Amino acid sequence: MSQLGYVFLAVGILLLLLIVFFVTFVLYRKAPAPKGCEKLPSAENCAKCALGEGCAMNLYGQKEDPKK
Amino acid sequence: MDSIRRHPHQESFVSGIIRNNPLFVMVLGTCPALAITTSLEAALGMGLLFLFVLVGSNVLISLLREIIPDEIKTPSYIVIIATFVTIVKMFCNAYLPALYNSLGVFLSLLVVNCIVLGRAEAFASENGVFDSFLDGLGNGLGYTLALGLIALLREILGTGYLTFGEIFAFLPYMRLPILKALDGSYDYSMSLFTSPMGGFVVFGLLMALLQTKNLRKKDAARAAAIAEAQLTAQEGA
Amino acid sequence: MTAYGYFVAFLLAVITDLLVDNVLLSRFYGICSFIGVGNQVKSAVSMGVAVTLVIVAASALCWPIYYFVLVPAGLPFLDTLVYILVIACLVQAVGLFIKKKSPALYKSLGIYLPLITTNCAVLGVVQSNTDAGILAGQSLAENFGLSMANAIGTSLGYLLMIFVFACIRERLATYPVPRAFKGIPIALITAALMALAVIGLAGLGA
Repeated sequence: MSQLGYVFLAVGILLLLLIVFFVTFVLYRKAPAPKGCEKLPSAENCAKCALGEGCAMNLYGQKEDPKK
Repeated sequence: MDSIRRHPHQESFVSGIIRNNPLFVMVLGTCPALAITTSLEAALGMGLLFLFVLVGSNVLISLLREIIPDEIKTPSYIVIIATFVTIVKMFCNAYLPALYNSLGVFLSLLVVNCIVLGRAEAFASENGVFDSFLDGLGNGLGYTLALGLIALLREILGTGYLTFGEIFAFLPYMRLPILKALDGSYDYSMSLFTSPMGGFVVFGLLMALLQTKNLRKKDAARAAAIAEAQLTAQEGA
Repeated sequence: MTAYGYFVAFLLAVITDLLVDNVLLSRFYGICSFIGVGNQVKSAVSMGVAVTLVIVAASALCWPIYYFVLVPAGLPFLDTLVYILVIACLVQAVGLFIKKKSPALYKSLGIYLPLITTNCAVLGVVQSNTDAGILAGQSLAENFGLSMANAIGTSLGYLLMIFVFACIRERLATYPVPRAFKGIPIALITAALMALAVIGLAGLGA
């Protein structure tokens, strides 16, 4: 294949990946959580590294217990 | 404590430097903080590139915040940040090849740096362009200062010298003997501090120092609150 | 080299990446998640297993894309963008699969999946596999084998270290740690001691 052919292939793969990423991302968000898992701590926050209370991955975890 | 009312523009800039320092207070972006900090020059170079990526992506995301639909916010931000990092990588490879070689993979890892994505989602997606620019500048400066602090300690204690001019070729090559100057007997260093263990130790001790300061402040506040409560109880009785 | 020779070389590379050049304690790739997750053993192991799967799958996908598409096209600089997209797609796809098919897995792994996209270890390993380029006298297949050994070794090393770290931290939570060190500082000092242990293995193997 000529180099131009490879360039088209590369761009094609890039676009394919972009589309698959966006589609799977939206599907994942919209998919309802399985029964019994609704009350898990906000996955969104955990994903943003903005970890707050209630997250099992509490980075700077020594925040004051809100119950105190 | 500060009764000075800051202009909201300044607020986002200043808080990123010390009060909400991304590395020491929010504990984000720790990977380069342990790996790059064996040399002060490399750490400052990394901080500079980080600043550029953060400011650039903040500004661009802020410009596009109305256009990007809510559902695909996060993926779009990742793509935008990856583009910026690629640009910075090519720039660095061309004009600062020594820095590119010493940073290695960590330059590419700026794509998944928690700070960049975090500031984009938390701030740039909701605020104006100038505010986002200042926020990026402030956080970038804060991160550079934090990296520089760790690198300063690690390089001085670990090699006894501060070396300049190896990575930034426009600086004259200098090897400043710091430890020798302080304790002039002979040339020595504690190579523990340039090893991986040293990175953890320096970072851990600095965090402990910060936590001591916070605890003291909290204790003082609690003592003041207790005293005030007792005073009002006495007055009421 | 004979087939046996290749096998031994592969195994050696895996063990080297697992212990000697450990991804967390020596190369510093996954520190954010290391400090964050290492609180409880169960969540740490879940995170480690998920990361292992993603690293191996992503390496297997990204290496061919780099050498068979990007390099012939003359676009090697697109590697970072392509890699992060592949990793993100993998993570979302795996998450979708788990959400729909296995509620039990979702319960233990679910929160960490979006976090694996931004895990430095995944992108770091995949990127460093191709950053080195083809060494002199090495065939493409050998490079791929080395990359896969790297991927398997580093992910298993991540799993091992995060498991040990979580065990130690679980115990530490019950000990009288000085107030200034409670939480992250003592965790970092623990990591320092683990790093010290790993330094002792330097020079072993390739």
